[in-house]
Formats: sequence, structure tokens, C-alpha cells
Amino acid sequence: MADVKIKGLYKRYGSFEAVRGIDLDIPDGEFTVLVGPSGCGKSTLLRTIAGLEEISGGEIAIGGEVVNDMRPRDRDVAMVFQDYALYPHMTVRNNIGFGLKARKMPQPEIDSRVDAAATMLGITALMDRLPRQISGGQRQRVAIGRAVVRNPRLFLFDEPLSNLDAQLRDEMRGEIKRLHRDISTTMIYVTHDQIEAMTLADRIVLMRDGVIEQEGAPLDLFERPATTFVAGFLGSPKMTFLSGRMVRVEGAVTIALDDGPRLPLPEGRIPDVADGRAVILGVRPEHISRATGPAAAPGSARLDAVIEFLQPTGSRTYATFRLGRAQVMAEFEAHDTGRPGETVPLDLNLSRASMFDAATQRAI
Amino acid sequence: MAHAAAIGDNRSGMPQRRLPSAKKSDRQFKWLLVTPAVLLILAISIYPLVFSIWVLFVNYDFQIPGHAFVGLKNFQQVVTDPVFRYSLWVTVALTVANVAIEFLLGLGIAMLLAKSFRGRGLIISIIIVPLFISPVIVGQAWALLLQRPFGPTNYLLSQLLGHEVTIGWLTEFPFNFIALVVADVWQWTPFMFVILLAGLTAIPPHVYEAAELDGVGGWQVFRHITVPHIAPMMMLAITFRLLDAIRMFDTIFIMTGGGPGTQTYTTSFYLYTIGFAQFHLSRATAGAWIFLVLTLLVIVFLVRRLLKPEAK
Repeated sequence: MADVKIKGLYKRYGSFEAVRGIDLDIPDGEFTVLVGPSGCGKSTLLRTIAGLEEISGGEIAIGGEVVNDMRPRDRDVAMVFQDYALYPHMTVRNNIGFGLKARKMPQPEIDSRVDAAATMLGITALMDRLPRQISGGQRQRVAIGRAVVRNPRLFLFDEPLSNLDAQLRDEMRGEIKRLHRDISTTMIYVTHDQIEAMTLADRIVLMRDGVIEQEGAPLDLFERPATTFVAGFLGSPKMTFLSGRMVRVEGAVTIALDDGPRLPLPEGRIPDVADGRAVILGVRPEHISRATGPAAAPGSARLDAVIEFLQPTGSRTYATFRLGRAQVMAEFEAHDTGRPGETVPLDLNLSRASMFDAATQRAI
Repeated sequence: MAHAAAIGDNRSGMPQRRLPSAKKSDRQFKWLLVTPAVLLILAISIYPLVFSIWVLFVNYDFQIPGHAFVGLKNFQQVVTDPVFRYSLWVTVALTVANVAIEFLLGLGIAMLLAKSFRGRGLIISIIIVPLFISPVIVGQAWALLLQRPFGPTNYLLSQLLGHEVTIGWLTEFPFNFIALVVADVWQWTPFMFVILLAGLTAIPPHVYEAAELDGVGGWQVFRHITVPHIAPMMMLAITFRLLDAIRMFDTIFIMTGGGPGTQTYTTSFYLYTIGFAQFHLSRATAGAWIFLVLTLLVIVFLVRRLLKPEAK
């Protein structure tokens, strides 16, 4: 059990800066997910915490102890890798117990710890098999078992589910969440998958180009993204961005979309920016609905749009509309969607929409 | 080309649109195509082999006229020849020494060069140069380096040790054996090195990182991770090298000429001397067959071991 404090962390490879001055406090027992597109530095950050990469500047402290010059094995952290990194010629039992044996723990204690971990992960039937004789999901359980059995003060996960198929991934995600509930050790988890980030995290740290773009609770990031990048990264299907200008008409504030109608902004969602300023309106698919009733609900704006195509998923159907040059995606009930080519009235829930300054791409 | 294409088509199992007459000439044509290769193999491989079986049981000696049937006398002569039996031991000793030293050195160098660093490519290029040199040239070069009294080796040793060194590297026991091993090791360590390096670089780095985080120490990492990972490569390198080392001839021919006396006779060198210097062809053939059977025992064992992990 330990907290992690990172101050002004840099990691350079030659002239390339993979991590550029990161400050991050991870409280004891928290599940933190580092997420971002590939090449954003999230894996590098994780590997510097493990000690597998030397840092070029800054400070990393685990449990109040600065570990900059400490060897990985002395940091008392365990890591689960994307490719499992099991020892291929050792049985599952030996794979899990190898680290304890290397640390000269007495055999009876190794056995009891290994058995406890195996029971927790449901792999007791596999103990005498070799890694190549078990499936990918089972291998990842073994890799997690190898981490758990050491009872480290910090768990690191480097895209542990990326090699699994979708169904197994859902299942293992649940297992990892349960693991954290049961042992409540600090965990840092790297993924490029925003669903994993949203579902697992106590806190999401969203990275881009070696710096933290935004950090916070998953729903905070989702509902109040600080930048268009965060808004576009979280959520599936993606948020629709419509560019326009602030226009004040007779006391009412509207956004005049570049090639479309004017949308009146509801009270409380009026940003403090000058008239005529270029802005970006971000609307998530679930906040666009097929209009019913004679007028838009309070806080919503109504407009007509032509259905371009439909993507049914079973429970919901995603409808793509064309609005000038922009594509807008809306999430509808599975039925009652209309047909491609049909013009449909839509209600945009602007009280739930995000607004960004077009110049800075930051929320306003 | 048309015929070749037709044969290719036939294999793919696609429906054919060919006349029966064309089919027949195709069949004949494919035999015509393989005939040169078959004839060549028959002439230079199968015929001599069958011929050698006949030679085993007759008197085929350039010094004695006629080819009288002699039964097993050729075998008896070889087996009772102390030089033949001695040469087998020399072969075993040199093979084991050469392969063992080359393996350990090759492994050591491969481990040093497994991680990438500046100048690594250049170092590897230099290390593998001996592989491209003909063994005869290697023998010649080492003979020149070691030759008494003009070779630089004794001079250098004298300078280093501070007193006169006059070792007959190519004529004095045990230095003649040391010289042979040095030349062989110099030439063939790169072979071991290249294969083992390929094995080492194929080990996923995450396994080492997991071991480091697990707190597994240096020797244990080598014993439990490196060795099991490259064991198939080790077997491969040792097998290939062993098969070659057993036939050791060139450097002996150049450096010691088997001497002094018959002291550095390997079996290959012995068979060469009996057959092509003394022209006792029957005895040489009998010795060659005995040597072949002994070698086969080693080969079969090694190749079986080599194929084992694949079968799993």
C-alpha cells in the first residue's frame, strides 16, 4: 500500500521527449488509469514508475520514498504486461511462485500464497500446465496471479487486455475491478481503450504528446472535458463538433453554425465570450433525439436534418446526419429511426452540450 | 514453360481442359526434367556408395594386383591398427575440446553483444570474418603465426614473460594440440556466436523485465530464463558444429601434417593417409564405414534431440 507522487518528470530518447514535465499525485489505494492515443507517453510513464526506464529529469516517490535511483526489484511494485511475459518453460504454479522463490521465501508459505492467488483467480485447475497449453485469458490470469502473490505496494498494468478478444476483455475487466475491490492496493493501469478507462478508473489521467491533457473522475472528464481532444477521446460514438460563432440577438445568445441554423443557448450555458467569437459546439450522440411534440424542450434546439445512414447495434441505432459540411451522429431507440434520405426533426440538448473556444480548443 | 505450368495446374486440383495425348507427353516430360539430377546423384553418390560396399570385401590396393575376395580381413586390419584406434580418440578429444570451447566463448560473446549499443554492428561484422575464410588459409595463417623460429608467437611470449620461449607449437606435445584447437576455435567460435545471438535477441524483453520486477537475480535469470529460451538454438549450434568438427582435416593437413609421427592423426586424416597416400583403398574404405557408423550414432542422437521440442 503506497501513494505515488510524480514531480516534473521528463523522459527523453535522444532529442525526442516522450514525457514532458508531468506532475501527478496518486493517493494510496486509488485505481488510476493512464489513457491516451498511442505515442502519448502513457506506457513510458508507467515504465518509469516501475523503474524499467531511467528518467531524464524530475522525481518519482512511492510511499513517500524517492525511487529515482532504486532498481525495479527494490521498488516493491508488480507489473502485468500486454504479452503476459510468462516464463514459457515453467508450469503455472512455478510461474506464480518464481518471484517468491527468488526472494527466498520458505516453500510452505510460497505454496499457501500461490494457492490463495490461484483460488482468487479461478486457475487452480491449470497449475501444472505450461503457458503454451492455456488460453490467452488464462495466461493473463496467471500473469495477474504472479503480481498478486507478491503482495506489492503498487500494481502496474500495461495494456493487459489488449491481446484478448472482445468478450474476454469484458470479462477480465470485471475481474480486475473485483481484484481492486478485494485487495484495494494502489493500481496504475495503462490503456488506449476509453471504455476500459471509464469503467475501471477511480481517476482518469488523459495524456497527449507527453503531457497530461486532463485528469479527474471518469464522469467529470466525460461531462466536463477541458479540451476538444478530451471530449473527442472519451465517449463512443464520438462527440460531434460543430463550428460556429457567438451571436447576440436582442438579448438572446445564439450560436450561428457556420453552415446552418442559429441555435439559441439556454440560460446557464452562456459562455462569457465576446460577440462574434469563433466557437465549437460539442454534442454527444445521446443528447440528440428525434423531435417529438410541437416545440423543442427547454434547453434544447430544434433543427431539421437529412439522415445519411444508420448503424443499428441491436439495443440502440446510431444515425448519421449531414448538417452543412458537418456530420452529426445521434443515438436513437432501435426502432423509430426513419430511413436514409429522409428529413427528420432533431432536438439538440444544448444544456448538456460542451462549448470550446475555436482558437484554443479549450472549454468555455 | 507451358508444360511446367500445366503440371502446376494439375496440383491445384482445378478442372483441366487438356487432350489425353497431351497428358501422356506431360508425364514423360516431367521424367525428362528430373533425369539429369537423378543421373548425377546416381553417378556421384549412389554408384560410389554401392561400389564401396564391394570394395569392403575384396582386395583393392594399388600395390597389390587383382581384386581377390578377402572377407572381413579389411575390417580386421583397420580395427587392429593401433593408429586407427588412437585416431578415434584424437578425433573425440579434439572435437569435444573444440566444440566445448567454441560454445562457451560463443555464448559469452553473444551475451555481451545481445543488448544494442553504439558500434555493435561493426563489432559483430568483425567477429564473424573468420567464418568466411577457407580452413586451409586459416591453418596456413596460424602455422605462420606459430612457426618456430620465425613466427611472432614465441617472440611475443618471450617479451611478455621476460625470458626466452622456444616452443615448437606445431611439433611438440601438448602445444601442437593447443595450436590446432586455437586455430579451430578462432575460425568457428563466430558460428556459435551468430546462432546463439539470434536465439538471445529473440527472447521477449518483457520476460526479463518481469523477472527483474520479481526480484530474480542474475544467475537465476540465466539459468531459468535465458538457457530454457535458447536451448533449442544451443542444440542446433552444437549439433551443426559437432558434425563438422568430427571431420576435422584441413588445419591438421596444413599445420601439423598429422605429426609428429602420427600424434595428431584424426580419423579423417588417418583415412586420407591410408587411402590416398598409401593407396590401401580397401582398408581406407573399411575404416570409413566404421567411422560412418560411429558418427551416425552421434548424429542420430543429436538430431532426435534437436527435433524433439518441435514435436511438442
